[in-house]
Amino acid sequence: METKSRTLEITILSAEDLRIGNKPVKKNAFVVVSVDSFNNKATKINRDGGSYPSWNDKLVMDMPMQTVFITLQVKCCKGSSGGEKTVGFARIPVTDFVGGYSPVNCLQYLSYRLRDPKGLKNGIINVCLRLKGALRDCSSQAASAGGIGLGIPIDSRRDLGVVTGIPIWSGYPANSLVR
Amino acid sequence: MGNCCSDAGGRMAAVGGTAATDDQNNAVDMYLKSRGVHGIFCQIELSFCATDLQDRDELSKSDPMLVVYIKERDGSVTEVFRTEVVLNSFNPSWITKYTITYHFEAVQSLLFHVFDVDTQFQNVEVKMLKLEEQQFLGEASCALSEVVTKPNKSLTLDLVRKVESASSTHSQHHGKLTVHAEECFSSKTTAEMTLSCLDLESKDLFSKKIPFLVISKLAESGISIPVCKTEVLKNDHNPTWKPMFLNIQQVGSKDSPLVIECFNFNSNGKHDLIGKVQKSLADLEKLHSGKEGENLFLPTLVGRDYENKILKSKLFVDKFSETIQHTFLDYLAGGFELNFMVAIDFTASNGNPRLPDSLHYIDPSGRQNAYQKAIYEVGEVLQFYDTDKCFPAWGFGARPIDGPVSHCFNLNGSRNNCMVEGIRGIMMTYTSALFNVSLAGPTLFGHVINNAALIASQSLANEARKYFVLLIMTDGVVTDLQETKDALVQASDLPLSILIVGVGGADFKEMEILDADKGERLESSTGQVASRDIVQFVPFRDVQGGEISVVQALLAEIPTQFLTYMRSRHIKPCS
Repeated sequence: METKSRTLEITILSAEDLRIGNKPVKKNAFVVVSVDSFNNKATKINRDGGSYPSWNDKLVMDMPMQTVFITLQVKCCKGSSGGEKTVGFARIPVTDFVGGYSPVNCLQYLSYRLRDPKGLKNGIINVCLRLKGALRDCSSQAASAGGIGLGIPIDSRRDLGVVTGIPIWSGYPANSLVR
Repeated sequence: MGNCCSDAGGRMAAVGGTAATDDQNNAVDMYLKSRGVHGIFCQIELSFCATDLQDRDELSKSDPMLVVYIKERDGSVTEVFRTEVVLNSFNPSWITKYTITYHFEAVQSLLFHVFDVDTQFQNVEVKMLKLEEQQFLGEASCALSEVVTKPNKSLTLDLVRKVESASSTHSQHHGKLTVHAEECFSSKTTAEMTLSCLDLESKDLFSKKIPFLVISKLAESGISIPVCKTEVLKNDHNPTWKPMFLNIQQVGSKDSPLVIECFNFNSNGKHDLIGKVQKSLADLEKLHSGKEGENLFLPTLVGRDYENKILKSKLFVDKFSETIQHTFLDYLAGGFELNFMVAIDFTASNGNPRLPDSLHYIDPSGRQNAYQKAIYEVGEVLQFYDTDKCFPAWGFGARPIDGPVSHCFNLNGSRNNCMVEGIRGIMMTYTSALFNVSLAGPTLFGHVINNAALIASQSLANEARKYFVLLIMTDGVVTDLQETKDALVQASDLPLSILIVGVGGADFKEMEILDADKGERLESSTGQVASRDIVQFVPFRDVQGGEISVVQALLAEIPTQFLTYMRSRHIKPCS
């Protein structure tokens, strides 16, 4: 089977509440979008947005069929010395925009939690993207238009098994575990 | 959808003007909001014409006049408007128009009476005419939403007159009345401007430059009324401020004189005026195209008089563009619909429906229970915005007669079809479902939300111009909070709004987490964050006195959510 690839048009809109070492980022944030380790593109540097930068930068990339994740890394470059620090990153599973609720070629607005290299929460990134590709990637949810009856499984499409662990003490109120 | 917060706190943020997603006169909006009146306010002008008015008097034509009444919920009728009298016509087109404020969240019932004004009153002023002395030609009634949802905003009604004869009372048709609605906006155009200054002077060399601009319009009396101000920039002699959006209606017209003042921010509130210019929006547009700057001037005291001292500081217009902001009614006229969906909690915590203390008790005397009240309040407003008046209706948390507990079953009892007809259909299937299922539990929203999202997604795939409103009514706190959040996050990019109404006396504090107005953006278990806030939650309370009901307040937010969705995706009313 030949490896076809699809075209991903992703516009990095903005980010919120970025911090480095617990202090808000002052300037020079930019985002690197990676489809795989060889295939990445960066947005322009946002000079004055501080910890709420907005880029509205559209990047067009090829996305091979077997891609599982798209990675967004928010980085901050320090002045003229050229050094850059990773503020946070988010991994978007391809299943979030393929085969979900939105039909093919539809412009989708998505937002993701950024986590810093230590794994702690560090802001939110907002993007909108459109995937141009093969017709058979139609929304699997919309295609099963047989009817809405009893017992539709909630997450039948999540067969790529993306799992995010959340430490049990950091979010679940105790009484919600016992019902 | 990720609207960034200003990073300038302490009253240094930009104020006023019109935000990119707002099309109302902000001052009026804020005045009304501060008094608890919410929602999209639109002034609508109704114009009327009639055809085929029967002539009562064989010898001469009628001199018709139209009287408009408003029908309140309790049935009382108040006269609000009279047109002029048109002489000698069977097909009058009245010129005087009636201005009414459109409230999305209420059903505004109008009643029309057409009278033939007797010739002896020809010279009497319209408002002095006594209606009982005129000849009644016919009546018609409708809801204001029926008029505005018609494609050309014109609704034609049959005029009827009840005739009492010996055997029966029947209505005869006596012509037709056409009601036409127009929005009163002098202009829907919004101007976006980016302003900057060069070489700001200062009183002394060492003072910091913390400049900001205030744009005011000049009223006829010469007083200047502030319209908007920019954010405060720090330490900048050549500041460029963020783009400002001004609705041309806010300032009057494109040629209305505006005063743009540049102040130096002072934390004690007494800002120093650095300089000002007086330009209209049209002048600013010329400055932009000519790429010229305008010198600021400063009124300085020379002797006893103020002279305008021209400064070397210049104001530049870096960007100037105009866009048309479509209103909610524009989208309706373009064929967009609001589709209503309802899901009812059938968990055991409601209590046995046959006992009077149950939240599901159907009172034989006709008094509605909380579920019926809320469905009726939301449904009777939304039904006008749905052309086929067929609504999906579900129940959750119960065991249908031949099955395990279902967290999303069709109220009409069918296996494949979830639709019911009209509000009556919802009420009837609700009552019959009550006695055909056994209440169980737990309270899970995930299935219902996913079904609603599926419907919205199918409609999106068919490019239908629909926006969906799901009403979930529950008596208890949701059990699957994380799964509900996951379902909501996945559905946040769809044309869907979810209203959650809590009935009964439970403590709904945990449910407020779902409403991003009261907390943070929803986050799923996979790290995805909701791109829009699509949920609103309110605990149901009975209306006290004349105040607006909590459900109506929820409904009032829907046009705003609709517009935010359409505008952010650049979807125009007509394609």
